Amino acid sequence: MSASSDSTTTSATTVSQHETAVVLPANLHARPAGQLARAAASFTSAIQLEYAGRTINPTGVLAVMGLGATVGSTVTVRAEGHDAEQAVTALAQILATAE
Amino acid sequence: MSASVGIVLVSHSAELASGLRLLVEQIGSDTVPLATAGGTDDGRIGTSYDLVLAAVRSVDRGAGVVVLPDLGSSVLTARTVLEDHPSPDVLIVDAPFVEGAVAAVVTAASGADLKTVADAAKEARNVRKL
Repeated sequence: MSASSDSTTTSATTVSQHETAVVLPANLHARPAGQLARAAASFTSAIQLEYAGRTINPTGVLAVMGLGATVGSTVTVRAEGHDAEQAVTALAQILATAE
Repeated sequence: MSASVGIVLVSHSAELASGLRLLVEQIGSDTVPLATAGGTDDGRIGTSYDLVLAAVRSVDRGAGVVVLPDLGSSVLTARTVLEDHPSPDVLIVDAPFVEGAVAAVVTAASGADLKTVADAAKEARNVRKL
């Protein structure tokens, strides 16, 4: 994972919130956007991607592409739900290894 | 979730449809049942009733089919095929061709049902690319 990653947890009993920031190693173009959307759909938690003040639901592949996030910029992954930690880890991994 | 929703790309041009197919397989998935109906029966620019019907049948795995036409007679031909062979599980969706196909395939790849896949394609109209 990116050295800039940073996790915080504010957990209730079972529902938790997680957040990680990833510095993009490449532009967030179509292929990683597709990977993110498919990964995001596999979790029950509510997931958000935030970039340049805009927040989107990453299950929408077109919304992910529409962020226009470029190499070297920071994208924040946020999730809330029973599998929030796994969701943030999985999506941050895709962002951090995008080519 | 058993079978994936199938997707049919209907275009005036066989090359346009097959090119879009390559694109959505890269962005989305090459495991979603997807067929193209591009051009006329003899390979010219236009649309073919028989190609559309065959495409719909070839991707029906029991979870339903979303049909995406590019414009004009693709829409008319697809509608005629669906009117002649009515099924609640085969939907023609009004969506931007490229964006709708990408959204539909990515959504279908995650195991979504027919309505969710159709809605994802429709919603493509409202997503800004800039």
